Amino acid sequence: MTMFGWLGRSATRGILTTRYPDAPPSPAEAPVSAHAPEPPPGVAIAASAVNACPVRAIAPDGVDQCRCIRCARCLAQGFEFSGPVALATAARADRPDGPSATRGAGAPLARLGRSLHVFLVDVGSCNACNLEVLSIAHPQYDASRLGIFFTNSPRHADVLLVVGVPTEAMVEPLRRAYEAIPAPKAVVATGACAIRGGVFEGNAGLRSGVDEIVPVDLYVPGCPPPPVAVLDALLRLIGRERTEAPT
Amino acid sequence: MTRSGWEVETGDDPPVEDGKRALAYRADDGALALYNDYERFRSIVRTPKAPGAGGVRPAPVPGAHALAEAAEVAGYGTFTFPYGPISAGVPEAGKFEVRTYGERVLGLVPVGGFKSRSVPASVVGLPVADAGLRVERIAGNLSASHVSAFLAAVESAEGRPVPTAELYVRALAQELQRLYNHVRQIARVAEAAAQNVGLAQMHALGEEILRLQGSVFGHRWMFGALLPGGPTRRVEPADRDRIEHALGRIEAEFGALWSLLLESRTFVDRLQSTAPLSKESAISSGAVGPTLRASGVGWDDRLRAPTPPYTDLFVSLPNETAGDALARILVRGAEIQASLVILEQLFDRWPAEESITEAPESPLGPGRGIARVEAPNGDLVYDVTVADGRIRRLQFRSPSTANWPAFALSMQDAVFTDFHFAFESFGLVFAETDG
Repeated sequence: MTMFGWLGRSATRGILTTRYPDAPPSPAEAPVSAHAPEPPPGVAIAASAVNACPVRAIAPDGVDQCRCIRCARCLAQGFEFSGPVALATAARADRPDGPSATRGAGAPLARLGRSLHVFLVDVGSCNACNLEVLSIAHPQYDASRLGIFFTNSPRHADVLLVVGVPTEAMVEPLRRAYEAIPAPKAVVATGACAIRGGVFEGNAGLRSGVDEIVPVDLYVPGCPPPPVAVLDALLRLIGRERTEAPT
Repeated sequence: MTRSGWEVETGDDPPVEDGKRALAYRADDGALALYNDYERFRSIVRTPKAPGAGGVRPAPVPGAHALAEAAEVAGYGTFTFPYGPISAGVPEAGKFEVRTYGERVLGLVPVGGFKSRSVPASVVGLPVADAGLRVERIAGNLSASHVSAFLAAVESAEGRPVPTAELYVRALAQELQRLYNHVRQIARVAEAAAQNVGLAQMHALGEEILRLQGSVFGHRWMFGALLPGGPTRRVEPADRDRIEHALGRIEAEFGALWSLLLESRTFVDRLQSTAPLSKESAISSGAVGPTLRASGVGWDDRLRAPTPPYTDLFVSLPNETAGDALARILVRGAEIQASLVILEQLFDRWPAEESITEAPESPLGPGRGIARVEAPNGDLVYDVTVADGRIRRLQFRSPSTANWPAFALSMQDAVFTDFHFAFESFGLVFAETDG
């Protein structure tokens, strides 16, 4: 009888899954913290805003999304989370000619066609990124409808998805996981910690970013990034990301 | 002390005598009392030393050294099977050394330190709000409990009065996060038991709670929302109506899923008598939280050592006696329903608007404060020394740290395939153990 109970539940819930990437993410899928903080329009960034930022993401000439941890302290200085939903990017603003600059152009795994297998590696996260990444497999996002699956072995993987700030103890395991993935492969550094240490930048025994250890194709900003940003990064690798319709 | 990285903090505190857990529960006159002897054990929590240039070296988690003997069982064909630090079943960086001759687990030693970000050492000298940004990222899925305990310790150290409304917002955040963590833990056990429909629907429910947190606190994991200077510390009446409405939906949905899961014989049979933990082992190993309550010990900080607003609320105490994985999951399920009752009471008693006053901004006297909070996975203790509004020293004892020995004990004589049922039923988090 239980089976009919489950069928009944499933039928009454209806469809929960987002229409992203065919439609833009809804406000529920892209909460405030998914957006980029922006200064008030037409106003230069004040020194008070630069000083208010605990991770030095705000400079007089702009906001470094890869550094921002969405703590919202700049809101008191007139900033707003009004920018576009912060999605994956191929370059670190602070290191445009860094080791990853030559990669990341176009869609590195486009030739894999319609399907991706993702191997998640945690190198020192707080668990929030792990859970946000795993939630792309949950009904509201359902990555399997897009041909994206998690795999339990690097040998079966196309993408190494790294979360957390690399600790010294995880440098060698991460390198070995990367080497175990057959080519062609791509690496996605997910979250402010994986990009350059986030709020823990400069702590003893930590590397500043995954790209010191393995070459990174895409960076996903956020602390943690929302599931739609993770989906966007993975779709970008195979050239199927959402592009705004021409008007 | 050979366990590198986990040496006892020296300084003005005498070291904890080896083999004694400074903060534990003991049977006293037949009733369980909290062993809170701060005079004798002034260092109530062990924190990892600040790492040197090479970083923290992975080492067995505190307390696990007592189990090392079992993990060294020798005999024909026995060997140590290393599981981790990158493993498919545990979505975190951590390692287990499993002593085995094949299918049966003779002993197991959890090894932590792979995720150590040295938070306690790195917050020294920082203002409270900046330190809070790091504290809430010790374990993202338990951020509300960590921040609440941290702030309570700071306020107790400074002798700072706290507006009642602020305490209510913290309790609201903690209870929402308890809902999320218990739902996710049940989903993870359902996943191990291949209950795929139940798994998907529980995860869908978890996502709804995350979205609710995001819409109320401006961040899906409530980072920054409870800290001084944070953006959303006031929950307006309109917000409260919206939350109550959403909670009604969550309650109905969870109730239906929960009864369907418990009707499934394959699910219940797989959990029953898996990874058992006796009442005596639970007390002697220093287990806390749902793990302790599932082994027949009725202890909950919200009931036995309450702080406002829990002093004014009715808190029920779900209790099981079997001590197996099923009992731990049953306690979690009952706690979800208990938390919904607590949330209802919070909204009924929500302090009026006019009583909201900002705490004085000027730093008060220096001092040391200890605070404890019932986190979703158990008793969480913060010990903070503050001077001039800056952190002088921070130590914490997380529920995961307390529960590792209990987990290792329960896995003795289990088989490999029990691992995920056992692990997920304990709700252990490497991130908060490593700090």
